[in-house]
Amino acid sequence: MLLNILPQVLVDGLTLGFMYAVVALGYTMVYGILEFINFAHGEIFMVGAFVGTEVLLISDSLGALEGMNPYVAFFLTLVIAMALTGGLGVLIERVAYRPLRGAPRLVPLISAIGVSFLLQDLVRFTEAIARNEFYLNTPALFSGSISLGIASIPTKGFIVIVLAIVMMIALTLFINKTKWGIAMRAVAQDQSTASLMTINVDKVIMLTFLIGSSLGGATGVLFSQNYGTIDPYIGFILGLKAFTAAVLGGIGNLRGAMVGGVLLGLLESLSGAYMGPLTNGAFGAEYKDVFAFSILILVLLFKPEGLFGEAVKEKV
Amino acid sequence: MALLEANGLTKRFGGLVANQDVTVKIEQGTITAVIGPNGAGKTTFFNMVTGFYEPDEGDVLLNGKSIKGLRPDQIAERGITRTFQNIRLFKEMTALENVMVGTHSRLSAGILGIMFNTKRVREEEERAKVEAYQLMEYVGIAHVANEAAGSLPYGLQRRLEIARALATNPQIILLDEPAAGMNPRETVEMTEFIRKLKHELGLTIILIEHDMKLVMGLSEYIHVLDYGRKIAEGTPEQIRNNPNVIEAYLGKSATEVS
Amino acid sequence: MANIGWKSMKGIPLVVTLIWIAVSAAALHFMEKSVIAFLGILFSIILIYYTNTDKRVRLILGAAVLLLIIPLVAGDNRYYMEVASQVGIYVAMALGLNIVVGFAGLLDLGYVAFFAAGAYAYAIFSTSQANEFIPGGLFPLSGDWFWPFLIVGLIVAAIFGILLGLPVLRVKGDYLAIVTLGFGEIIRIIFNNLDKPINITNGPQGITPIPSPELFGVKMGTPFYFYFIVLFVIIFIVIANIRFEHSRLGRAWVAVREDELAAQSMGISLLNTKLAAFATGASFAGVVGVIFAAKQTFIDPTSFTLMESIGILVMVILGGSGSIPGVILGAAFVTVLQVQLLKEFSNFLHSLQQSGVINLPNQLDPSKFQRLIFGIMLILVALYRPNGLIPARRKKNDLEAIKGSKYAGGKLGILSKLTQGKQS
Repeated sequence: MLLNILPQVLVDGLTLGFMYAVVALGYTMVYGILEFINFAHGEIFMVGAFVGTEVLLISDSLGALEGMNPYVAFFLTLVIAMALTGGLGVLIERVAYRPLRGAPRLVPLISAIGVSFLLQDLVRFTEAIARNEFYLNTPALFSGSISLGIASIPTKGFIVIVLAIVMMIALTLFINKTKWGIAMRAVAQDQSTASLMTINVDKVIMLTFLIGSSLGGATGVLFSQNYGTIDPYIGFILGLKAFTAAVLGGIGNLRGAMVGGVLLGLLESLSGAYMGPLTNGAFGAEYKDVFAFSILILVLLFKPEGLFGEAVKEKV
Repeated sequence: MALLEANGLTKRFGGLVANQDVTVKIEQGTITAVIGPNGAGKTTFFNMVTGFYEPDEGDVLLNGKSIKGLRPDQIAERGITRTFQNIRLFKEMTALENVMVGTHSRLSAGILGIMFNTKRVREEEERAKVEAYQLMEYVGIAHVANEAAGSLPYGLQRRLEIARALATNPQIILLDEPAAGMNPRETVEMTEFIRKLKHELGLTIILIEHDMKLVMGLSEYIHVLDYGRKIAEGTPEQIRNNPNVIEAYLGKSATEVS
Repeated sequence: MANIGWKSMKGIPLVVTLIWIAVSAAALHFMEKSVIAFLGILFSIILIYYTNTDKRVRLILGAAVLLLIIPLVAGDNRYYMEVASQVGIYVAMALGLNIVVGFAGLLDLGYVAFFAAGAYAYAIFSTSQANEFIPGGLFPLSGDWFWPFLIVGLIVAAIFGILLGLPVLRVKGDYLAIVTLGFGEIIRIIFNNLDKPINITNGPQGITPIPSPELFGVKMGTPFYFYFIVLFVIIFIVIANIRFEHSRLGRAWVAVREDELAAQSMGISLLNTKLAAFATGASFAGVVGVIFAAKQTFIDPTSFTLMESIGILVMVILGGSGSIPGVILGAAFVTVLQVQLLKEFSNFLHSLQQSGVINLPNQLDPSKFQRLIFGIMLILVALYRPNGLIPARRKKNDLEAIKGSKYAGGKLGILSKLTQGKQS
């Protein structure tokens, strides 16, 4: 009986894992360049979910969704959400992080925690005014599911996975093939040398936030489609898990973040499904967050460089 | 038996070999220099001796006992201390407090003792203050005892860092470029000061330095590193005439050596 | 901001302070429920701190306000005593976190876990809850046990601190914030679910009725008593903070905060030093947790969320990380803002709503704006005043006293070799 549900558990885990993976990219890119944990990244994801949901709700109320191809509607939603969250990321960097470059390490981190909480309440505030409600239901664009024989995958879950893979490939190409991508890698390796090579470090950092945040925002849209309900607090725990994924894969390493995300999604799904039955109900699915955090702590203790990272020793 | 022996130390970072089979023996009460071009692995060598890096191969012996694998604080407790290339003071503390930090492992106050402010803790604290102040007088910076360490001029920060190192009551002190960034007059003063440490306190001194005048005038024995390997050792006279050394420095600053 | 002005003024004249105390005491006495009056009396503590007079006079004045004036003029007013003891609880917590964040520079986002450990320690054993897993029907304990449990709470929390710290403190720098956050959540989830397989915490239902403290048969359940209990604990914690600040351990904490590598080369063990900070900070939170449990008479996991940890962090950062007066100010300010000002403002808006002046959705109730306000405060402090309202300052040593010390006669430490050398 336990094995019967395994394929479904794996499909759910993959869907979740790909979302972690894309959000993890945002953490890892910023960390790679600034050595700074962008605490507010999870909230960018949350804002993306709200923007996407609002776009659909508003278009729906205007009747614009009638007869529109759901894929077109989804694409437009995605573009709007990515543009807005990308801009938000750049704004946050400009206002709350850039003035603190060179300050003691704790200071920008504290600012980022502040941004994180501020965003949660701003979204709640806005939605409370606009809709008198801040738990939103996202209009579903896709119904039905694709059968894979032993398991079935909902169309929306399939789209999550496909889009996540597309975004990862696009990002990898961008980083490796374009002028700006190479500039980003240069800045990540050595900021002062890069600036000597006439690379505009400020611009590169801005670009990093733009890309990372729009990917995070896009994941928010995917999340809202996949799970159907959102609230202003979804970003916090998901952000934490995505960060865990980034650490698991080796922070600063793009490929690592992707693998780490998928791995964590699978582990979480498996533990959620099997921990209860295996311990006779003593420790059930309510411990799945504990499980994810434990992974974070274990990785940081025993393999802080992650699965794909290189061990870096602090310069003496 | 040498006071400090480094036997076949090797350290790799990924594909880069920072130190390869470096063997160095240091006698009690001597001044030894470790020289070499930039990136030759001198600081890596210091880091292995002081426990900041663990060697991939080889061993470090202090008084014949291995100190390999010990943490930096444990090595400091055993009497090896250091200064840093890019001065690392506790900037927000006063100068005097910086030196008092050096006495840390010789004091015993614990959580409860401090909370109840026992007589022993009070006396120990007073002794530490006096000792720190005496050390500041000794290095000639007692007049800035109450200034924040980060606000001191560069030369005084160098001296403060040495005073702080002396407060650990070391047998061996490793100085990483003690005269870096100093003008000629300050360099002469620093040279005199290091000599004084040896003669008056019986300290064993190992230093990394690029200023060849200082190295040749001060050290009794010199080890030369290049690309992570030791290419020569000997007295200043021997090193000056060693063809390997001249070659290593040629194209860089051969004139400094000759 | 303002303290620069005070510095140039060499402090506030004593007369001004005395008049202020008199006026705000009168206000406190004659007004039933006034935030302004309460803030006034709190502000007098700050005035005393900056008054241009002898340290001993300031101490006596402060003690007089806290121990005599407030209880005398407002002791029979439940409202004021309640607010005062709440402020006290947060001041005590913030002072504990100050050791971890302020002194040792360890950004702990799971601090509330230790508070929970203390609260649950008392709650479980002082109610019949402990009978669930300890046979013999020994429980509940009476309120007399509150006093020994202050120590038990301290020890339990300290053990928690060490157990959590051992793995967590090996993690470097920024990661520590995330890991402590994760651990804080883990502990809350565990408390929330530990009603099975063995019922230890009673899960989400929480534990009640937790007995009030009792001394010689007197039941001390009113805010009036808690005010004194908290005050007593704060005095203890402040003294400990002051002693730690300029001690062997305090210097090691600051050294580790400023430069881990240099600290190690001075013989400081990173793990031991950080553990000491973690355990000390935790133990204070544990004591406060016991008081909290007794005061609330009911606890459940919702009292120990991440927001509590963040709130205490805001107090420390806003007031001045590492600065004892700063942290006290920050904690008092944030608590009054949170439990009083916002609530008053809410009530005000509600009354407007009832008279039909405005239409306010329930969600916009200002008392729910914790996150927004904490967020803005953290950002603004980070950007414009990273050292807080009253920045920490290292004490200057009395050099004359050092020169005149009984130890100054001979050379100490490595310098003792100087005299040996000369003799030979």
